[in-house]
Amino acid sequence: MSDWFERRVARALRADVPLAVDESARRRVMARVREAAADGHPGRRRGDAWSRISRHSIVALSLAAGIGGITTLSAVVPQARRDAGALSAVVIGDSVVSTLHDTLRLVRLILDAPDARRVAVAGDFNRWDAEATPLVRDGRSPRWSVTLALRDGAHRYAFVVDGTRWVPDPRAERSARDESGRLYSLLTLSRTAN
Amino acid sequence: MSDRVIIQRVLEGDVEAFSRLVDLHYARCARIAFRILGNREDAEEAIQDAFLRAFKALSDYEDRERFSAWLTRILVNQCRTVLARTKRRDALFADVDPQRLDFIVAMESDDGRWPELEHVLGRLPAQQREAIVLKYADDLTYEEMARVTGAGESALKMRVQRAFARLRALLQEVPSV
Repeated sequence: MSDWFERRVARALRADVPLAVDESARRRVMARVREAAADGHPGRRRGDAWSRISRHSIVALSLAAGIGGITTLSAVVPQARRDAGALSAVVIGDSVVSTLHDTLRLVRLILDAPDARRVAVAGDFNRWDAEATPLVRDGRSPRWSVTLALRDGAHRYAFVVDGTRWVPDPRAERSARDESGRLYSLLTLSRTAN
Repeated sequence: MSDRVIIQRVLEGDVEAFSRLVDLHYARCARIAFRILGNREDAEEAIQDAFLRAFKALSDYEDRERFSAWLTRILVNQCRTVLARTKRRDALFADVDPQRLDFIVAMESDDGRWPELEHVLGRLPAQQREAIVLKYADDLTYEEMARVTGAGESALKMRVQRAFARLRALLQEVPSV
């Protein structure tokens, strides 16, 4: 490798990514390893029950919510809707929080909002506090996300962009207006969805 | 503590010792998976699945091979699985506005990160992207890359070379001053 451009590309490829220093992501790995260990010692090949459950949940809930799973919505959502923000909400598993409560589900909320300076989610689960649950931007990508532990049941929510703009889920199964006329989205979590 | 010692402890029943392997190799896996898959969610899924598979197959690991290379092989297979399942490769990376290309190079930060490079990586054919990531994000030799990918060394060198040519065109190299 000889020239300036190639050295620069190589250096950039060696640079760490935000996921690399995410301690919670490492803990999630060990949570799955412990699940597997409970099923059998290393070398004893058995079915990966956790994986089956969580993926089934993803498909089931995505269908229930009328969305197509974890989708890069920028590719499939018309530009006007992209500008307004596009949301995909997906259960990514419940076993990792089983020590807290066996009906808690981890739900990842994703919003593609390229021009936003900050994004939060407000809903029943945080008493509609527009500051309490911020989403984190993934590097310089347009994607913002947060993972929540939610109980089974119906949850109303909306995103709050830059502290003032309320953005419902344009692809949610149901949207409605509250008493003040503000749009919200509805996410239903239930064990029957599994 | 070396990988070999940790692996021995895990095989003797100390499951928690596996967390040392996670700590030692997670950042490297994150670099590879994120740059092959292009987004954090898929990368984390591939990494989790890779570590889980490594844990389950640990008794099959033979220390003639570096553990890191063995793990990388599993990870690359998981990345391929994610790509095949989601079929989202073309959608993973938002189009870069051509008008922005003029100042792309100037956006490189002091720590070497180059955000626009992350985006245009998605425009490389999957094999080229995989090859250049393994070569530089993981510092593998071509011999190790051949074991990881199943491709020949000469083919891999060609993929890396073509990847650079494609990136150069996409990023419009700015001459150094």
